[in-house]
Amino acid sequence: MRYQILKIAITTVLYCVLVSCSDNDVPQLINEEELITTVEYTLTNDTDATNVVVYKSVDADGSGPEAPTLMTTGTLLANSTYSGTIRFLNESVAPAENITEEVQEESSEHEVFYATSIAGIAITKTDTDSDGNLLGLRTALKTEAPGNGNLTIVLRHEPIKPNDNTLSGAAGETDAQVVYSLIIQ
Amino acid sequence: MFYKTLMVAALFMSAVTIQAQDCNLELKGIVKDFHDGAPLSFAQLYIQEIQKTVSTAADGSYRIPDLCAGTYTVIVTHYDCKTQTLKITVDKNTIKDVLLEHHINNLQEIEIIADVHDDHKNSQSSTRITQNTINDFSGATLGDALATVQGVTALKTGNSVVKPVIHGLYGSRVAIVNDGLRQQDQEWGVEHSPNIDLNTASNIQVIKGATALRYGGDAIGGTIVIEPERIIAKDTVKGRVVSQLQSNARGGSISGSINNYRESGWYQQATLTYKKLGDFEAPDYVLSNTGNQTYAANFAVGFHKFEYGASIKYSYYNTELGILRASHIGNAADLVRSINSGEPTVINDFTYDIDPPKQMVEHHGIQANAYKRIQGLGKLEIDYSFQFNNRLEFDIRRGENAGKASLDLDLTTHTLAAYFFLDSMEDFEMEFGVDGLYQINSPNPDTGIRRLIPDYNSQKLGWFFSLNHNLNEQWLLDAGFRYDHYNIDATKFYQTSRWEGLGYDQQFPQFEIGEQGNQILTNPEFRYDLFAFSAGAKYFADDHYDFAINLSSANRAPNPSELYSDGLHHALATIELGQLDLNKEQSYKLNLVAHAVHGSLDVEVNPFVNLVNDYIQLIPTGLESTTRGAFPVYQYEQIDAVLAGVDLGLNWDVFTRNSRDAQSIEMLRWNSRFSYIYGQNKTAEEPLITMPPIQFSNELVWSQGVFKNLDLKLSNQTILKQTRFPDNDYAVDVPDDQGNFSTQVVNISESPAAYSLWNLGAGYAFAKAKINLRVNNLFNTNYRNYLNRQRFYADDIGRDVQIQFIYNF
Repeated sequence: MRYQILKIAITTVLYCVLVSCSDNDVPQLINEEELITTVEYTLTNDTDATNVVVYKSVDADGSGPEAPTLMTTGTLLANSTYSGTIRFLNESVAPAENITEEVQEESSEHEVFYATSIAGIAITKTDTDSDGNLLGLRTALKTEAPGNGNLTIVLRHEPIKPNDNTLSGAAGETDAQVVYSLIIQ
Repeated sequence: MFYKTLMVAALFMSAVTIQAQDCNLELKGIVKDFHDGAPLSFAQLYIQEIQKTVSTAADGSYRIPDLCAGTYTVIVTHYDCKTQTLKITVDKNTIKDVLLEHHINNLQEIEIIADVHDDHKNSQSSTRITQNTINDFSGATLGDALATVQGVTALKTGNSVVKPVIHGLYGSRVAIVNDGLRQQDQEWGVEHSPNIDLNTASNIQVIKGATALRYGGDAIGGTIVIEPERIIAKDTVKGRVVSQLQSNARGGSISGSINNYRESGWYQQATLTYKKLGDFEAPDYVLSNTGNQTYAANFAVGFHKFEYGASIKYSYYNTELGILRASHIGNAADLVRSINSGEPTVINDFTYDIDPPKQMVEHHGIQANAYKRIQGLGKLEIDYSFQFNNRLEFDIRRGENAGKASLDLDLTTHTLAAYFFLDSMEDFEMEFGVDGLYQINSPNPDTGIRRLIPDYNSQKLGWFFSLNHNLNEQWLLDAGFRYDHYNIDATKFYQTSRWEGLGYDQQFPQFEIGEQGNQILTNPEFRYDLFAFSAGAKYFADDHYDFAINLSSANRAPNPSELYSDGLHHALATIELGQLDLNKEQSYKLNLVAHAVHGSLDVEVNPFVNLVNDYIQLIPTGLESTTRGAFPVYQYEQIDAVLAGVDLGLNWDVFTRNSRDAQSIEMLRWNSRFSYIYGQNKTAEEPLITMPPIQFSNELVWSQGVFKNLDLKLSNQTILKQTRFPDNDYAVDVPDDQGNFSTQVVNISESPAAYSLWNLGAGYAFAKAKINLRVNNLFNTNYRNYLNRQRFYADDIGRDVQIQFIYNF
């Protein structure tokens, strides 16, 4: 009995020394699939399909030290109505992952919030989740007089639903938070 | 067994009380186990001259009143031991503590000492937790039981993750030794609690300094030594069942152990524990998702003789711990919202379900041990142990990753050690040992989240020598030295931007293996030489006083988290970064212990000072923005620290008298503990973070008062506000509903207000069983604890009524 135990112990130690200790494999690279690197808000003029404005925020290194970069293409016109769509992407993997699909699949657990400091801009959510509550992947945006200011877009995970349509009333946790500067011409 | 109890009872009943005039001297003391100082209940003391028998209480104490001056023959018996006869001269009120030797084969069978101090063998500052205290916490955690010792506090995340803090230090700075085996369960994490079932412990010794060199020299905070049930060399079967129900969290625990001992030396031990708790409740709301569930099993089989023996042990621990739902947050702006709202952002109805965020941890330990005594020399011992620890942490995730662990670490540790204990010389005891450790950490890449701790292999090889010398009756000297060589070899992917941002491409180009996408594979490998030294002296002034001084110096190598961690931490919305160029920590600690026993009063004062050079600490270094929003960045940096303080312990038998039927001793005892610690960052001249605030703990125990075998207990714990904390508050832009940003201060530094908790307890013993009823937080007080990470989000737990049943056989 005692020798048996001793044999097992010695075998285990030997196994460690000979097998596992020489085991120094290169670990597998992990590309985080859930990461949201990119938030892209596209506005299409309801009366002029060629007037497309795209606001894009890209943070290529995720939680790395580099700050997101902001890009704007197109011109936002005064006194117009736009249809807005938002996309959340993970561009750190190739091909890029479309996180918007996951948000759509779990629509009752998500909501996108829009808030702007520009007087006269009205943003309404035009889509609903599986429970019939507002979701915010699709929006309608109306402009009035020319001006400029900020637009803040926040994606919340597990917010209170339905809510008073404000960030402060929705709770939940922030999955994405970007700020675009808008110029209305 | 039943027969023995009957005999004891008969002896007890036939005790003759002699009330002689002018004979009012008293002999009293405590009967303890020689090995571990654990009090022995139901020991019989028969005084031949007056034909009187007394038996010890649950705390091992006995009292023989109304003695005339003279010399008495006292026969001390305990059911596990041989009968022993002592001659005791009583010419004044006398305290005689009796140390009984359980292992009747061993060297000295009985020894009488003149005071009640816990540890006579060396100069270190140590306190022992007895079986009674362990039983009280059978449904709680190891950390909760340890926090009953002055100078030890609990660092918590909620109520299930509890880490012991000794003199202000925790984590890798505190070694936990379970049954001779140093626990390797990823203890570096603040949110990682020791994976040990408290119910397997027979007693626990807390050593407040790096003096337990046998178990490693790097425990600059201290060492916690958990000892299992001792082995008895006679044919007997012993066991215990402890079950507990509690109102808060609406659950309970059950633990059963059975031990089979044979006179031949063979023995088997087994302990099984199960615990299930639902959501805890604060006075005003449910703490959603704070339930937990634990299974534990321990088995041992061995052969124990005085001259040689061997054993094999297996232990298993499996726990699932819910983390407060409201503490999982997205970014720093969410944290502001949580702190300012004053109550958790998610409050659901009570449930037993445990959802993410949660932890699931499994620990296996296998240990083989053999020893041989060499006549006229000492004892040789060989130990091998294997430990496997798997830690899963679940965050709230999206899409197909929901329900998948965010962190999945496998830690495998082999340890081999040989010790030689030389005790054949009259006044010297020496111990020499060598040990080696091999450890593999392998994170599972299937989590889809970049590894918090990388793949690494580490090796440690060390040796130590220690010496105890009894200079004379008054003086005891001890000294020890330990050396370890430690090597850690990691393979880690860094984000290239992080690697370059920290300047590692300039500082450590030799570690680079190659780039893959926007990540860089590196092989950071480090070696450390660690030295530890301890020396001390103890002076026994007379029967009433003893003093000890101990100086220890120790090194601790940076742990994997301090070196390599990098990533987002959801609990506090921080980005935590390791630092590759950390040096080893260097600690110098001075402990003084003054101890006095005067009649019914026992006081111990333990001032200490610990200077730690290159103390590794997380320091806020700035704010980084990501697509999620802004996060403060904390990096491990080294500072010079000083920790100083004083612990005070007092036990006073306010009154003792024979109860009305003269068969038991009625006693009112006051137990008091106090601890204060001052922690200062000398480099930045600011207070150290997470230093336990001043605390007082007082307890009144009235035994055998109202009626026989009933103990009543009233206790209070008062924690003052920690007024010394570093200001790590930072400002963050919080979006409002109008599309503007307001700059708000994230108030993470301020300590919570002082609080005072009252607890009430009653215990009734009958036959071999005991029923305890306890009410904790009697007045349902709202409070938050500075050392609980949950304090940012929610109040601590409210009133809890517990009922406990203990049965010994």
